[in-house]
Amino acid sequence: MTVDAQYRLFNLVNNPPPGSKIEAAKLYGVDLTLNLRRLALTPTERVREMEGALRFMEELRRATRQSDVVNR
Amino acid sequence: MTNFEAALRVLAEAGVNFIVVGAYAAVAQGSGNTTQDLDICYERTAQNMQRLVAALAPYHPRLRGAPEGLPFLFDHLTLSQGMNFTLQTDLGDIDLLGDLSGLGQFLEVARDAVLIPLFGGSYRMASLDAIIRSKRAAGRAKDLNALPELEALKQLRDSEKE
Repeated sequence: MTVDAQYRLFNLVNNPPPGSKIEAAKLYGVDLTLNLRRLALTPTERVREMEGALRFMEELRRATRQSDVVNR
Repeated sequence: MTNFEAALRVLAEAGVNFIVVGAYAAVAQGSGNTTQDLDICYERTAQNMQRLVAALAPYHPRLRGAPEGLPFLFDHLTLSQGMNFTLQTDLGDIDLLGDLSGLGQFLEVARDAVLIPLFGGSYRMASLDAIIRSKRAAGRAKDLNALPELEALKQLRDSEKE
């Protein structure tokens, strides 16, 4: 993504046109800055980042299970 | 955890005609969500279903969530007699969808698919428009909850091109 486009999208997210889907998503509680960041990545980087989040959640679940056993 | 890269490579190398749909396709196009499974829409021709079976059979596909020992034969006949299958495989969770809510079957989905460069190759994926149509048509709470982000993402991507 070009720097110009990054600025344009950043402005759109921070000052969404009234009645736009961007405004609706913000009002719904969506954090669109995550999308801005992901849009600046390549598709491979995007899915790798998601896989990293999944691995972290799996690790957390494993740690919670172990902690349950220790504290029983 | 699903090995998305390996699953996609295995399907592509076997010459399977498929389109990545659902949340994984949305993530590749900039969605901030996560998903644990790979959803693909597959072409329901005899040749393609045979290729699909040949590609996934070495990874022991079984019905996800089914009791241990429940007989399930993953072959061309099973695929042709069913439509959508939620599978657990050695590569992870893979959903085979012959028909998608709001989109239809492979040829309809293919009409609106986009080619996304991924892992050094490129894969056909449902466009954001198509994913939005499908989620809206599915109408379940989790699908409707995903709509505000997807619709805003679509607007952002359109603005990116201006």
